[in-house]
Amino acid sequence: MHEIEGFVEPAALAPSVKLTGIGKSFGAHRVLDDVSMDLFPGEVHVLAGENGAGKSTLIKILAGIHTDYDGMVMVGGKPTRFNNPHDASHSGISVIHQEMSLVESMSVAENIFLGHEPSRGPLLDRSQLTRRAFDLCAQLDLAFTAADLDRNVEEFSLAIKNRIEIAKALSLDARVIVMDEPTSALNSTEVERLFVLIESLRARGCAIVYISHKMEEIYRIADRITVLRDGRLVGTAPRAGCPQPVLLRWMIGRDLDGFAPPRAAPPESAVPALSVKDFTVPPSSPGRPPRVHKASFTVRAGEIVGLAGLQGSGASELLQGLFGAYGPVCEGTVSLAGNAACKPASPHDAIARGVALLTGDRKGTGLILDLSVQDNLTLAALPRLSDHGLVDKKRERNIAVKNVSDFGIRVHSIEQPVSALSGGNQQKVVLAKWMNTGPRVLLMEEPTRGIDIGAKHEIYEMINEWTARGVAILMLSTEMPEVLRLCDRILVMHRGEITAGFSRAEADPEKILAVAMGASTV
Amino acid sequence: MKKTITILIVLAASMIPFVANAAAPKKGKKYVIGMSQCNLGEPWRVQMNADIRKAAESHPSLTVIFKDAQNDTLKQRAQIEEFINADVDLIIVSPKEAAPLTPPVTAAFRQGIPVIVLDRRVLGNRFTQFIGADNKLIGKNAGEWIARHAANLSRVKQGGKARIVELKGLMTSTPALDRHLGFLAGIKDAPVEIIFEADTKWLEPEARREMESALAVHREIDIVYAHNDPAAHGAYLAAKAAGREKDIVFVGIDGLMQEGQAYVRQGVLQASFEYPTGGAEAIENAVKILAGEKVPKEITLSGRSFTQE
Amino acid sequence: MKLFLSSCFSKPWVRALFALVLIFAVGCIFNADGAFGRWSTHRDMLRQVSVYGILACGMTLVIITGGIDLAVGSVLGFSAVLFAMLSIHLGLPLLAVLPIVLGAGVACGLVSGTLVTRWRFQPFVATLSMMVFARGLAKWLSGGQKISSAVQQPDGSYSYVDLPPIFDWLDARLLGGNISAVTLVFIGCLVITWFVLCKLRYGRYLYATGGNEAAARLSGVPTVGARLLAYGMGGFFSAVAGICQTVQERQGDPESGVSYELTAIAIAVIGGNSLTGGRGGIGLTLMGALTIGYLEKILSINAVPESGRLMLTGVIIIAAVLLQRRKEA
Repeated sequence: MHEIEGFVEPAALAPSVKLTGIGKSFGAHRVLDDVSMDLFPGEVHVLAGENGAGKSTLIKILAGIHTDYDGMVMVGGKPTRFNNPHDASHSGISVIHQEMSLVESMSVAENIFLGHEPSRGPLLDRSQLTRRAFDLCAQLDLAFTAADLDRNVEEFSLAIKNRIEIAKALSLDARVIVMDEPTSALNSTEVERLFVLIESLRARGCAIVYISHKMEEIYRIADRITVLRDGRLVGTAPRAGCPQPVLLRWMIGRDLDGFAPPRAAPPESAVPALSVKDFTVPPSSPGRPPRVHKASFTVRAGEIVGLAGLQGSGASELLQGLFGAYGPVCEGTVSLAGNAACKPASPHDAIARGVALLTGDRKGTGLILDLSVQDNLTLAALPRLSDHGLVDKKRERNIAVKNVSDFGIRVHSIEQPVSALSGGNQQKVVLAKWMNTGPRVLLMEEPTRGIDIGAKHEIYEMINEWTARGVAILMLSTEMPEVLRLCDRILVMHRGEITAGFSRAEADPEKILAVAMGASTV
Repeated sequence: MKKTITILIVLAASMIPFVANAAAPKKGKKYVIGMSQCNLGEPWRVQMNADIRKAAESHPSLTVIFKDAQNDTLKQRAQIEEFINADVDLIIVSPKEAAPLTPPVTAAFRQGIPVIVLDRRVLGNRFTQFIGADNKLIGKNAGEWIARHAANLSRVKQGGKARIVELKGLMTSTPALDRHLGFLAGIKDAPVEIIFEADTKWLEPEARREMESALAVHREIDIVYAHNDPAAHGAYLAAKAAGREKDIVFVGIDGLMQEGQAYVRQGVLQASFEYPTGGAEAIENAVKILAGEKVPKEITLSGRSFTQE
Repeated sequence: MKLFLSSCFSKPWVRALFALVLIFAVGCIFNADGAFGRWSTHRDMLRQVSVYGILACGMTLVIITGGIDLAVGSVLGFSAVLFAMLSIHLGLPLLAVLPIVLGAGVACGLVSGTLVTRWRFQPFVATLSMMVFARGLAKWLSGGQKISSAVQQPDGSYSYVDLPPIFDWLDARLLGGNISAVTLVFIGCLVITWFVLCKLRYGRYLYATGGNEAAARLSGVPTVGARLLAYGMGGFFSAVAGICQTVQERQGDPESGVSYELTAIAIAVIGGNSLTGGRGGIGLTLMGALTIGYLEKILSINAVPESGRLMLTGVIIIAAVLLQRRKEA
């Protein structure tokens, strides 16, 4: 346990919530052990840690989802034990989960007061419902008219839904609001507005528990930082007492030598592995602009080309189209390793030609969570592992075992369901799955989304290894530092078209952002 | 829009073969009889229609229009109303249920269209004639036959009781209940005991399973009384598989030509008691009614029995 | 020890086995004067459950892809009529009859599969329509009559023909009268299903498609082909079951197999196959089949009245599924 000298707790105030010696086991597995934490009114308390460090479990205890735990939770100085999430929210603790907990098919006002509707006897008091919802929204800088309050939540953007969740918390008179990666789906303007809102919540005396993987955010808003590792408390410190190197060391337990390992760009003479000319992905419904319009570029063997673009730029659609995910509807020519031009007809076809696509949505489109680690590892490579339709079980097993050691995947057994793995290990499984198909062109969307720093670093090292062997990589990432450090060249997309290209030396974040936002000149 | 039209055309075209033979024939000097059958899912009712068709063939002046209500009371009601509107000369109806079908039958009768009600009744007396068989009577006949047969068994001669397995029809249906009660009346005071009984829901595979259980539990079985021939046949197959078919006598009900009668001929069943469809009788009486003759209000059919003897 | 037991119990096959052992224990207690102790009782149970079990093999494949096949009972009825007509009435040789009947079953399955994959119908809707259609086909083909050795002549009278020898072979007992031939057919179907699921590449594709169709497709899995295979195999097994049903009834009944699809689904679910797809296996289906088979047999040898049977069966299905329910973490 690290204690930072010179830090004085705001003793003048009593903590809103005090956690003492919290522990939790799943079967024989101890996921949380002896964690203590105080939450004071008016502070933003960042909870940091790698994936699997126990953050989610701690939050679930606080939210009344896990009721079977060791240790004590004190709310307002009184020992409390929540039997269900309802208890927790009525004790003034509100958790805003990554997956929103709003009922999409109900109106804004109904959602805000769901479970504690203002009523007169058994009857719902509609006028009071609308009036109080209106007041709450006004406080949150949500310019809703009474008609808006009657619209269903599903009609609003994610950023607005986020605010509706906060309004719901305020309606319960929340003293502690937990935000679990609230910015992961927001654009930068929306993030700014959220921070303004957090400031006003702090001024009202709320304690905010803020979970984030993003350094800039942590250092912008944190008052104090608590770090968990492997289910144990590493330390709590005020922001000033925990600079970035300290935070990283606390989180991963060792120093990282730089952000991404250095890499050597491939020689200019390297052969083109992927040449795309006038590639167009038709619109999803008639009458709309094409999803990708006449994209032309080349990726050489051993090269990493980055795709940058904001939401809706068409970068993701470009990758899907090149992989044949839309079927044979795309126009233009694609040629691989200088071979005759062909049109990607289906993922099956693309894989057979040595193309792989790592999708950005690991759980939705990357893995089959019910299947074992081994089955996921070999799924895409099964045609190579079978003879006359029969799977060669021995070879399959050998490959899975080798993947686990080569990629450093931490598993109990290759038979265990892949759903039991942490995010970083799952991502390694997906990467290994694709490398098993022997790709010459690797398309990647957000290769390190939602995984911890240690695993990120390992993945960067592997990517360097593959390019050294001549694999061509085309990757899309919204993490600017990742793109800048990793990619040899960067293509920027805006509204379905490639609008600019930069070499690594030329690229800087401001220029890329300007082009991505549609600026015509740089 | 184009797709919708295509779908509609295909749908209409696919109906043609089924609709074509349902179109009413032209009415000359001939008589048109409307026949509404409640359900053609049972072989016995298929047989009833076949009997009517066959009997009508020998009367060139008759044309019979068959309709199948597919076990739907309201559909059958609509069919009778259609017959009335088409102004047929006579209606034969084998109703699904009494109460809901009474009004349309009454309406037809009031308009002067003679109505013959087959097998199941309607309420009141506003119809021309009811023809039906009596399940209780048939059950009683079977019971009496079994009582006579039991008397000749060596076990009974030594003072014991004949051991009987009763495989019932669906016991929530009236025919099964009547066949059961009639049977009990028939074996009253006879030296028999029912050692095993089960509901087969009229189904052969169920009967076979129940008989296998009976065989497993009881070492000695003399007679199997089944409420329909398929159940008796299923029981026979079970006994044959156990090598015990020679020790047991199988008795069934219905006596259809391709089922019960065939089983008796093949030596599978010792006896099958006919549950007559009344189809032939209906046409016979229809001809009389159309010729202006007077017919009895009610005819109770006594079925034939088919036995090995 | 407690930990060991709970980790064992997290495996679906252990829970399925537990349900089976429980039913078996009930049978030992209510043994109907020792009838439960005789092999012949178990042999008969195995024969009785075979047709259901064969249907459940196909159902397992379909359920693993995340679908459901309501048409198996009707396709059974259609195959039964077709088989009886071809082999009894037309007297065609077995080598001609089997491919036609099995092919017809596969065709029915492929139609369902095509509705699901190409036309994007819900499996429930697609197979519901096939269920109604195939039943109509069976009635149309047979004219509503059972197809037996009594052949109707043009003049309305009946003549009688001999049944072809397959009826005796398949309804016989083998190995010294200790096992029924249809039970061996059932075992054969289990082996085929096991082979498809565990040995073939396409077996893995069935799991992948049921587990996460989008991810499977993007991994190059032919998801359309996988679903077609499942429904096609479902139709194939329905046809096999139809043949087994026909030889046991010694006639092709257009009404046979009504509501058998529900029993087949119950077998798959009681065994612990997940209706949401992606999880399950043929071993689970076998245990489900034995559980259902023993349940019916025990109720039958104890001559439990129909009303009691229905209530008990309902309770036991819920109990077995409760036992299967995975504890949510």
